[in-house]
Amino acid sequence: MLKISNLCARVAGKDILKGVNLTVNAGEVHAIMGPNGSGKSTLAQVLAGREDYEVTDGSVTFEGRDLLALPAEERARAGLFLGFQYPVEIPGVNNVYLLKAALNAKRKAAGEPEVDAYDFLTLIRQKMKFMQMSESFLTRGVNEGFSGGEKKRNEVLQMLVLEPKLAILDETDSGLDIDALKVVSAGVNSLRDPKRAVVLVTHYQRLLDYIVPDQVHVLSGGRIRKSGDKSLAQELERRGYDWVLEAQVA
Amino acid sequence: MSPALQTPDRPASAALRSFEAQWRTRPADSLSPVREEAMQRFLKLGLPTMRDETWRYTNLRSLAAQSFVDAPRMTRGEIEPSASLSLLGGTERAATVLVINGHPALPTADTMINGIEINTIGEIARLDPKSLLRFIEPLSDADQQRWSLLNTALFVDGLYLKITTQVATPLVILHVATGNGVNNVAYPRVIIEASPGSSATIIEHHVAQGEHTPLSNSNTNIALGRDSQLEHYRVFATGGGATHIDSLNIHQEQGSRCKQFTIALGGGVVRATLEGHMNQPHASLDSYSLLVGHENRHVDCVNIVTHAAPDTRSRQTARAIASDSSRVIFNSKVVVNAGAARSDSQQSSRGLLLSPTAEIDTRPQLEIHADEVKCAHGATTGRLDPDMLFYMLSRGLDRDTAQSLLVYAFLADVLTGMSVPTARASIENALIAQLPDSQILRKFR
Repeated sequence: MLKISNLCARVAGKDILKGVNLTVNAGEVHAIMGPNGSGKSTLAQVLAGREDYEVTDGSVTFEGRDLLALPAEERARAGLFLGFQYPVEIPGVNNVYLLKAALNAKRKAAGEPEVDAYDFLTLIRQKMKFMQMSESFLTRGVNEGFSGGEKKRNEVLQMLVLEPKLAILDETDSGLDIDALKVVSAGVNSLRDPKRAVVLVTHYQRLLDYIVPDQVHVLSGGRIRKSGDKSLAQELERRGYDWVLEAQVA
Repeated sequence: MSPALQTPDRPASAALRSFEAQWRTRPADSLSPVREEAMQRFLKLGLPTMRDETWRYTNLRSLAAQSFVDAPRMTRGEIEPSASLSLLGGTERAATVLVINGHPALPTADTMINGIEINTIGEIARLDPKSLLRFIEPLSDADQQRWSLLNTALFVDGLYLKITTQVATPLVILHVATGNGVNNVAYPRVIIEASPGSSATIIEHHVAQGEHTPLSNSNTNIALGRDSQLEHYRVFATGGGATHIDSLNIHQEQGSRCKQFTIALGGGVVRATLEGHMNQPHASLDSYSLLVGHENRHVDCVNIVTHAAPDTRSRQTARAIASDSSRVIFNSKVVVNAGAARSDSQQSSRGLLLSPTAEIDTRPQLEIHADEVKCAHGATTGRLDPDMLFYMLSRGLDRDTAQSLLVYAFLADVLTGMSVPTARASIENALIAQLPDSQILRKFR
């Protein structure tokens, strides 16, 4: 589904990604772990199409298409979703308007008619209930005045409504208490499907107790240094990142 | 009447000479002494130039080179009713008073609409000129009042509204500017008096009709009695070539509350001045300005709010949007007089630039002569937030839609302040029509 080859990217004149290789197949959940500043968030943003992040080398294909040739909005319509580490507040733009516009953009791209207003409200109420979100989310501005945890739930809510083929979740677990973590994890797990894939970017092994990954990768210094199964995450939790990096040098 | 006028210090411009010529043709009336005083001062001081403090951003040189004659006096029948003239639409329950080139078109000289007494200024000047003088005097030499002096000297008639009770239905004053050739000028004048304890909403809507739009030098005086409440709108929606200079003066007594909206949607050059005077304790003024520049439009808004008594409160919220090669200026000043202890003021102005050739200038100022006051101000101008834009794009919205929604969101602070839903809806409609991608925005309302 996703094939990243030798991806190099630069942010504000600084090389951050220095040759990332990663293949994610349909039905899989991958976790990308790594120390601060290793390039995890940059990778997520580059995949989503952030314009001010400059790709200097390499290629990315998504279902056989050249992902890097598409603007951000077309990547989204093709079925890619980025759950932001820091979802931005947009006062004055209604949360539900945005979601409806997003869903309709996707449907339009797929040649489907716009969603019926009543059906949409029914759908969103059902998903909100699942995410244990209060009705007030319907009337508020996008992420406006939301707590950190509420913002993350809102990201997962958007994901559940848009049903992407590939979800990239950038530290969706950070700032969550244990109850919220369970809700968010249940949301992600509900989307697991042989036709979809999930890439979790995370700092902590804790999330992986709830969303069990098929593969775990360690990203450091702009490259993937080590890959393994879920036991790698447990080992990282126990031993930290240093041994992976030292092993590389040796 | 042709009193010996003083010779101006600098060579008189064509405009100045034409205003003087108009003055010579005005018949005497009961206001002649104050009018003469105003005219003399105007001729002595001359048209404001960019050397004057509140005119630094607006160049009137090309206007000064023209000669002006009075816009024609027209009757109601000569104005074709058209949908574009109606702010609140045909179905709304708002009464409308028509004013054409400054001349009220009232069914009778003395009308009462929904608890508001409506007279022509001409009629009041005939019956009780002294009652008018308190709205006109004292005359001011300040440069922001220069065009007010000219209006006082030359206005032919106008509207005098007295709010005597608590009025629920908004009243619309529809100012139509329409010329019969180039270089017409009109002097609309409105006086609004809110009796103690009364409340009302008054919407002044300025539109143009026909091929030629006169220069409009309009002036509104508002006096709020003790504990009265007024929500006042001035909406400028004239055509692209028009020049409109509007002066609004508000005087407030104890405990009165005024909410004022200045909406600039049209015109080639719009200059809107607001002077607010909170003369007695516990008066409060909320001013909202929504200034939209596109094409080559020039919008210059000046607010000067004076806290002249203790425990007074003011809020100024301005949102400016400039696209194409337009220029939008918002200068606000809060003056706290000596003795006006515990004054509380806030100024917030934000500008949004939508094109590299557009320009926005904002300058909040404070002048404080009292201790123990709370005065805050903030001004920012920028482009659309790239993080917000990327967030929306990453959800699949196309760029035009995302940008339109962000522009619209930028205006929300002013729109949500409007307490008349029908007025808000109409202004939103008119506003959206002026923004890029208006078709997209309509879908989101």
